[in-house]
Amino acid sequence: MENVITAIRVVPLGHYFFLCFLLFAIGMAGALLRRNILIVIMCLELMLNSVNLLLVALSAFLGDTGGQVFVFFIMLVAAAEVTVGLAILVQLKRNTDGVDINQLNRLKW
Amino acid sequence: MVRTDLLAMLVPAMPLLGTLIIGFGRRKFTANTAGGLATVLVALSFVLTLVLFLGHHGERHIVHLFNWITVGEMQIPFTFQIDALSLWMMLFITGVAALIHGYSIGYMHDDPRVATFFAQLNLFTFAMLLLVMGSNFLVTFIGWEGVGLCSYLLIGFWYKTPEFNYAGRKAFVMNRIGDVGMVLAMALLFLQFGTLNYAPVMDKAGLMAPNNPVVITATLLLFLGATGKSAQIPLLTWLPDAMAGPTPVSALIHAATMVTAGVFLVVRSSVLYELAPYTQQIVLWVGVATALFGATVGLFQNDIKKVLAYSTVSQLGYMFAAMGVGAYSAGMFHVTTHAFFKALLFLGAGSVIHALGGEQDIRKMGGLKNTTRTTYVTFLVATLAIAGIPPLSGFFSKDSIMAHAFQESPLAYALLVFAAMLTALYMFRLLFLTFFGTYRGKAHPHESPRVMTVPLVVLAVLSAVGGVLNIPHIFGGNEWLKHHLITAADGVANEDLALSAATEYGLMALSTILVVLTIWYAWTLYGKKTTLDGEPADMPFLKRLIAKRWMLDELYAYLFERPFSWLSRHLFTLGEAKVAVPVTVGTGEAAQGFGEWLRKLQNGNTSFYLFGMMLGMVLLLLITLLSA
Amino acid sequence: MALLALVLIPLIAASLLLAMRPAAATARGLALVSTLLTLAVVLWLWYTWAGTAVTAYSLDWVPAWGMRFTIGYGGIGLLMLVLTGVLFPFIIGTGYKQPVGDAALVNALLLYSQAALFGVFMAQNAFLFYIFFELSLIPIFFLLLRWGGEHKRAITIRFFLYTLLGGLALLFSIAYATLQTPAPHSADFSALAALQLPAATQQWLFWTLFLAFAIKMPIFPFHSWQPETYTMAPTQGTMVLSAIMGKMGIYGIVVFLFTIVPIGTAYWQHLVIGLSLFGAVYAAVIAFRQDDFKRLVAYSSMSHLGLMCAALFTWNAYGISGGLYQTFAHGVLMVCLFYIAGMMEQRVGGNDLARMGGLKTRMPRFALLFMLIVGNAISMPLTQSFPGEWLMFNGLWQLNPWIALAGVVLIVLGAIYMLYVYQRVLLGPDRDVAVADADGEEHFMLVPLIAIIFLVGLFPNLVLQLVDAPVQQLLNTFTSLH
Repeated sequence: MENVITAIRVVPLGHYFFLCFLLFAIGMAGALLRRNILIVIMCLELMLNSVNLLLVALSAFLGDTGGQVFVFFIMLVAAAEVTVGLAILVQLKRNTDGVDINQLNRLKW
Repeated sequence: MVRTDLLAMLVPAMPLLGTLIIGFGRRKFTANTAGGLATVLVALSFVLTLVLFLGHHGERHIVHLFNWITVGEMQIPFTFQIDALSLWMMLFITGVAALIHGYSIGYMHDDPRVATFFAQLNLFTFAMLLLVMGSNFLVTFIGWEGVGLCSYLLIGFWYKTPEFNYAGRKAFVMNRIGDVGMVLAMALLFLQFGTLNYAPVMDKAGLMAPNNPVVITATLLLFLGATGKSAQIPLLTWLPDAMAGPTPVSALIHAATMVTAGVFLVVRSSVLYELAPYTQQIVLWVGVATALFGATVGLFQNDIKKVLAYSTVSQLGYMFAAMGVGAYSAGMFHVTTHAFFKALLFLGAGSVIHALGGEQDIRKMGGLKNTTRTTYVTFLVATLAIAGIPPLSGFFSKDSIMAHAFQESPLAYALLVFAAMLTALYMFRLLFLTFFGTYRGKAHPHESPRVMTVPLVVLAVLSAVGGVLNIPHIFGGNEWLKHHLITAADGVANEDLALSAATEYGLMALSTILVVLTIWYAWTLYGKKTTLDGEPADMPFLKRLIAKRWMLDELYAYLFERPFSWLSRHLFTLGEAKVAVPVTVGTGEAAQGFGEWLRKLQNGNTSFYLFGMMLGMVLLLLITLLSA
Repeated sequence: MALLALVLIPLIAASLLLAMRPAAATARGLALVSTLLTLAVVLWLWYTWAGTAVTAYSLDWVPAWGMRFTIGYGGIGLLMLVLTGVLFPFIIGTGYKQPVGDAALVNALLLYSQAALFGVFMAQNAFLFYIFFELSLIPIFFLLLRWGGEHKRAITIRFFLYTLLGGLALLFSIAYATLQTPAPHSADFSALAALQLPAATQQWLFWTLFLAFAIKMPIFPFHSWQPETYTMAPTQGTMVLSAIMGKMGIYGIVVFLFTIVPIGTAYWQHLVIGLSLFGAVYAAVIAFRQDDFKRLVAYSSMSHLGLMCAALFTWNAYGISGGLYQTFAHGVLMVCLFYIAGMMEQRVGGNDLARMGGLKTRMPRFALLFMLIVGNAISMPLTQSFPGEWLMFNGLWQLNPWIALAGVVLIVLGAIYMLYVYQRVLLGPDRDVAVADADGEEHFMLVPLIAIIFLVGLFPNLVLQLVDAPVQQLLNTFTSLH
């Protein structure tokens, strides 16, 4: 375990921050701009994982294992969320013959 | 003492018992049984009062029944006060009431609701007795309101006629306006003295300086109450309308007893009035003005009961003039004699109406002195009495008032003499038009049954000799009534006539001569009349104004009734329907409109939601950063 | 335990009704028996009352905040319990001659509201009070929504939301006041009463509290839900609303406003008296020309409540005792008047006064009963309204003679509209319609009510002695304030 932490600490913390912010921004932009629901779900995963990465990095730097525990929680939630998301995707595909997320706006009001 | 307590409780209990028995069994009672029972019970009351009266020697006895209202410092017991004043009132109330109850057996014989009538009449007697027997203002107020309610019920006794119902309501509401004064006066007196029992209030008030604001306010407020009940200016228009009730009601309630309650109240509070010369001036001039008002309007009325009603208003004016000059015993004397002769006049009028099958218009009467002999003779006695012809009772009582008025203010005296002349004029006009000349109607006049004429005769005797109750010193009398009342009403002690015997004789002679001349004038005008005055429209202005009752009813309608009605309608259609409800509903609708707008945000566009989410997060982040 | 029984008896009876859904006659009988039981309990409490506050039952509720489920009563609470206990048998009894829809359901709803009302008046904890305060509304809401008259949906929802607004203001105020008490924030009445908030706080907190009670009573200008609701509600619902629920406002003022924000009350005293009296006169004037019997009674109720509220705020023994006494008198009066209105509604098929009149010949017994009730409504002495009004006028006079004048004018206005409505219902030329006179069952309702009217009118001390000591206690706290 000790060497993994040492390995992580090789890279300065600032880089992790930068990378995570980049990943998060890419995910956010994708989620906002893309209309293909599959891509949107992938982008959501990307955002979640960027946060995971940051948590792990901070956990290593601060010597607090709590951050790594949280990562497992998030992965669990992400799995559940993907399951629901993919179910919606399948239903959307079956009902509308497409995967355009804007088809869902019929559910408004 | 226990005997006095028991007797005092039984006196009002009798008519109350009558109300309950007759009221509950009103379907089973006939005119004779209901009337008989009611009369016997009131007569019993009279006998009991007589026993009390004979055993009474000037002391004040308080009969404690129970504690009525107890809050904090306030203790209002339900107690009766047996003293000279209340006994005297009780005596003539039960006496006159018993006679009128008996008379009603004949008068109301054919009415289908005769039992109800007697129940209500008994209830009235009960309330009137409470009024005079109460030992504190609030118990008096029970009777005060009770007689008002009975008056309302009996004026509207023939409830199928809307005008009668209106008259009843009018009477009650005008009385209630007076009651505002009464209630406020009681609140003031309680705050000032911490009790409402007459004896301590009067004792404590006696220590106060004259003309201090508390006493003036209290007396003025009490007087407002009295003007309502006793039909003084400005609250007098209900009394003539109250003639809508059956004639015995007019005789008992609206002539002999209830309307004199105001006078009674002033005598009861005479200590207060003695301390407030300012109020006394107002009382005097209101009394004089009312005496003139009633007398003038009485000249032009054609309804036999309306003439008598305005006459009552006028005579009540005399009584208040007496109160205003501090002649309390003279006022009470006039209350008593007036109860005799005015009750007699009303009962006589009732007998005439009965004889003519319900006709009340004196233009359709005439020549009745031969067909209704007893009625005529008794009516004549009463007319002479009210006109003040010696030695009938009215002469003594009226003269006593006028002598006191002369001592206080010659102008008031002059006006009262003038009113006395007018009284003689309208009363003899009534007498001549009704009983003299030739009959102008179409009915077949007949004398009333014995049950009605006997009370007439009894009252005629009383009207004739009632003067002996209070014969002044100059005629060798000892002013019995005054000496009787002096133990109960402290104000009586202060009234003494400082006129020389010669002045007194002169005043008497003057008024008597003027009245006799007026009667002669009335004879020339109406004595042999077969045709009658024209309608008010043909008269000159002043005459027309008087014939239309100085337009007082119209004035009140324009000033109060119509604006009130308008306000009531428009507060609802504008205040409620256009403001209060729309504001409430509008608030709800505004909330709904806001929701209508807000839900547009929920457009179903997932990207838009995500964008909102992001915006929110950025905002939260900014807030956190900035506040740190 | 007796106190808890007051809540439990109606609760169990109502639940039984809902579970078994018996036939109409059985349902009414069960409900009546249950209310008579509560009446017996209440009378027993009244009889055994020793003149001191009683805490009957206390149980841990939210231990973390030290909040306890405490019920009990002082003189004022007992007065309200008596009011509720005495009137409910009559309200249930009204259903016999004036049935509304599904008897089992209606009676169950009424009993639920009774349970909640008992709860309101015995709660010794502000949050408990609040919960019962709102609970009492829910059964009435359903009653009105389902069996109301014209526009029942719109009016019921308006009524519900309006009173709910007041409830929320109350909740907010209670929460705020509770947080100012030292920990644990138990929200017990005693803890709240001990609170001494700064004057500035009291001045605004007064309004959030007063809003709740002003809407409930209602006091001008928060009354706009009331006339329409009373008019369209089924008779039994109107009775609960006007006779008892309006009194929660009076009770709340005495229990909350006077103890939590005395300085605020003193500060706003004249404004509130002005509003109340203005509203009282305003409603009395409007009542005169109403063409709808029930709405007229609704306005008259508002007029009376305005006077009562003004009297409470005079802050002297006569005003407060009179106002509290009058809650009882007014409750009985409202049940009488709405019962009369219901009788006429059944007979002529509506509340429109134009359809009435000229009925006295056909309804002599009814006329007598109505007249006695009118006598009470215009506060004739020896009926129960009179001592209350007299005390209230005294209270007003001690504050200021001119204010008293504005109040006393009400006795004139009251006579004007009550006698006019009596005339329009019964008097006038005979009308050729077949209406039945009051029958035995209706006598069974009205005669005991009228007996109460005269009994309490003759012996007002029966009621006054309940409030005497608590009012003195309140006044002592006021004097220590100045």
